[in-house]
Amino acid sequence: MRVDPCFFCGRPSWPSKGITFMRNDGKSFRFCRSKCHKNFKMKRNPRKLKWTKAYRKNAGKEMVVDSTLQFAARRNVPVRYDRELVQKTLKAMERISEIRSRRERVFYKKRMAGKRAREVAAARKLVANNEHLLPRLRGSEKRRLAELAAERGVDVEDLEREELENVRTSKKSKAFGGETRRLRVRTDGGVEEITESTGGGMHDEDDDGFDDEDGMDTD
Amino acid sequence: MTWKDIAPVPTAQEFIDIVLSRTQRRLPTQIRAGFKISRIRAFYTRKVKFTQETCSEKLGQIVASFPILSDQHPFHRDLMNILYDADHFKVALGQVSTAKHLIETISRDYVRLLKYSQSLFQCKQLKRAALGRMATLIKRLKDPLLYLDQVRQHLARLPDINPTTRTMLVAGFPNVGKSSFVRSVTRADTPVEPYAFTTKSLFVGHLDYKYLRYQVIDTPGILDHPLEEMNTIEMQSVTALAHLRAAVCFFIDISEQCGYSLKAQCSLFKSIKPLFANKMVFIVLNKMDIKPFEDLEPELQEEVNDLAKSGDVEILRASCATQDGVQDVKNHVCERLLTERVAQKLKAGTTSGGSMGSRLTEVMQRIHVAQPLDGVTRESFIPEAVKNLKKYDKSDPERRMLARDIEEANGGAGVFNVDLRKDYLLADPAWKYDKMPEVFDGKNVYDYIDPDIDAKLAALEEEEERLEKEGFYESDEDLGDESEEEVLEKAEYIREKHRLLRNEAKMRKSLKNRAIIPRKQQKKSFAQLEDHLDQLGVDTEEIGLRGRKETQSRGRAVTRSRVGTEDPDSMDVDMTAQQRLRSKSRARSQPATNRLEDGVQDEGMRSKAERVAKLGQRKRNRLAKAGESDRHIGTTMPKHLFAGKRTIGKTSRR
Repeated sequence: MRVDPCFFCGRPSWPSKGITFMRNDGKSFRFCRSKCHKNFKMKRNPRKLKWTKAYRKNAGKEMVVDSTLQFAARRNVPVRYDRELVQKTLKAMERISEIRSRRERVFYKKRMAGKRAREVAAARKLVANNEHLLPRLRGSEKRRLAELAAERGVDVEDLEREELENVRTSKKSKAFGGETRRLRVRTDGGVEEITESTGGGMHDEDDDGFDDEDGMDTD
Repeated sequence: MTWKDIAPVPTAQEFIDIVLSRTQRRLPTQIRAGFKISRIRAFYTRKVKFTQETCSEKLGQIVASFPILSDQHPFHRDLMNILYDADHFKVALGQVSTAKHLIETISRDYVRLLKYSQSLFQCKQLKRAALGRMATLIKRLKDPLLYLDQVRQHLARLPDINPTTRTMLVAGFPNVGKSSFVRSVTRADTPVEPYAFTTKSLFVGHLDYKYLRYQVIDTPGILDHPLEEMNTIEMQSVTALAHLRAAVCFFIDISEQCGYSLKAQCSLFKSIKPLFANKMVFIVLNKMDIKPFEDLEPELQEEVNDLAKSGDVEILRASCATQDGVQDVKNHVCERLLTERVAQKLKAGTTSGGSMGSRLTEVMQRIHVAQPLDGVTRESFIPEAVKNLKKYDKSDPERRMLARDIEEANGGAGVFNVDLRKDYLLADPAWKYDKMPEVFDGKNVYDYIDPDIDAKLAALEEEEERLEKEGFYESDEDLGDESEEEVLEKAEYIREKHRLLRNEAKMRKSLKNRAIIPRKQQKKSFAQLEDHLDQLGVDTEEIGLRGRKETQSRGRAVTRSRVGTEDPDSMDVDMTAQQRLRSKSRARSQPATNRLEDGVQDEGMRSKAERVAKLGQRKRNRLAKAGESDRHIGTTMPKHLFAGKRTIGKTSRR
């Protein structure tokens, strides 16, 4: 029993899942699902499809050169069973995967360096150009507040700011969505859980970058 | 050495036919009236030349195809001399070759003459003369060509004698049993008849001895008279005896049934003895079944023994009729021949000093004869356990337990499961039944198993430490300042607003079968305007009041006065009051009624009406009509449903 990587997308394909194609020259192709099989039959190049491991590696989206990646290899020389060796190996596997995930995190960070600055710059520009779309108080509201201020003897401006704040926060709540739970891998190796109560459909999950990767990097 | 593939030699007449018809076929044949003389000359020159070329080619082929006597092995040379007469043969070939030269000369002469010919006629006459002379020459070759063809036929039928191979030569008086011997020893089918000179030429058979092929030559019988008196048949034997390096088996019929006395046979042996120089000679006493050697008179016995005394002669006995001793003779002769030849080769290869020549050493180097280990005896090794092993006996209760027995003891076939792990070869037998995970953490454990994992892991840890020290893992997770957050939030708000606006615009654009109304004409209610302004943060209270005051009321003016409403320049037209009213009236807006429901008082009526409607629809549906106006008449007898045979099955389908 083996967990083979899919020939097309590179996902691990577990026994009983997927399909294997044996070409008449003896080469076998393992596909994790019918999607990959169909794409293969259509003679598509996995390097050109964004959802495949091959693409991600080719496009520099994943760690390709690292010493941790050299541990796993198909060996054609069988090694006789040795209890100590297997124990050591299992321990080593754990340690290697730990180191690897740390390095992958660093790799991701390096790849994403400067992203926030770009985002902020873009946001600044957008805000500067579309000032008129920002929430503001209605005329009638202003009037009401002015009256209220006069009544209470408070500063109008304060009231208005307070009101504006209320408007903005009330805008954020969505009709759908609920609690989103995310796991974030920290560089020190630990995993922290982040809970956001207001996440909704509008909030793209894939711009987060590493949530979707978790599905792919188990090979 | 075969001459089986010599091409047939045509007779003179055939030769002429071939050459002339070839000239006729291969060259243009027509001369036309307007041809220039130069062209005519070329035409005939070509004819002459071509004929000559063909002749030369054919004659040359004949000369080349026959063997050149001086190049042949002496045996073959002599044999041909005896059979065909070397002089005759040479003369015939010489004549052919001379004819070739002569034809070439003729052609040269006539081509030269043709150059100066003045007319078509002259050209033609010259050509005729040339070809005629060539033909005459060939006609004169009639006899040599005939002779050569006969020689060719005879050559092709000559036995394939290889003068250098291992050869056994059978000789003796006629009718002493030479051919019978060859017949019984080899696969050759030599004729055996009870009269002298059955064999009139050389025959060759082959036999195998010790995986080697031997050539056995059956010769015609020889009579005891001087060489000059011998005929062609006998001479063949003599040639073979003289030139072939072979083991000679001289056959003697001691029973004298052949018609020649034993004395005569002995004297023949003596007279041809010079031919046996440097050869092994065996005297084979044949027909032992009729008269054994011992029954001979002593003086005759003495005479025969005398023959063997001189030199390398042995006496063997055989009987071809009963096959007694025939194989012995064969084996003995072959053996002797083989040893002799090997010895000769070795002798030829060694120099006078005793050292081997280069060629021989080369051969000897390639020969390796494996010898048993010198003096060392190697005992076969049998382990103690095997030696002490008791012979397996099924009935013995203390016999060895076989896998089959174990199976029987544990419930028999289908119940017992073979323990495959029992015989595992591991460093520690206690590990045999260990369960090892194949997949761990989504990874194949086998891929990680590596005898030097320790070293590799240590290297990795070292690297890790170094990276840690270098600050590879230090994160600078600053979440940005407050203002950045705010800007991002604002941007997100704006984006959402954009999305909404875009969506709205999209909704507006989709016409859904309605006309495009220009923006100016689009109706916007005052409330909308007010709301928009309010949204923009303008206080609409006072503008609203002002605006409302200034809006025109909808519908007609309350006052019916025409003053101010009419165009002052328009023509005065008489109109009735009703007409005037009509022209000023507004179209009645669409009633907000459902016509489907109109005219039906209550729910009961409604359902009744529906039922009636359905009833009216029924017939149309049955006839598969699209509506009232559907007048389509379908095909009454569709071809595919009525033509052809029906097989077993439904009758409604074909």
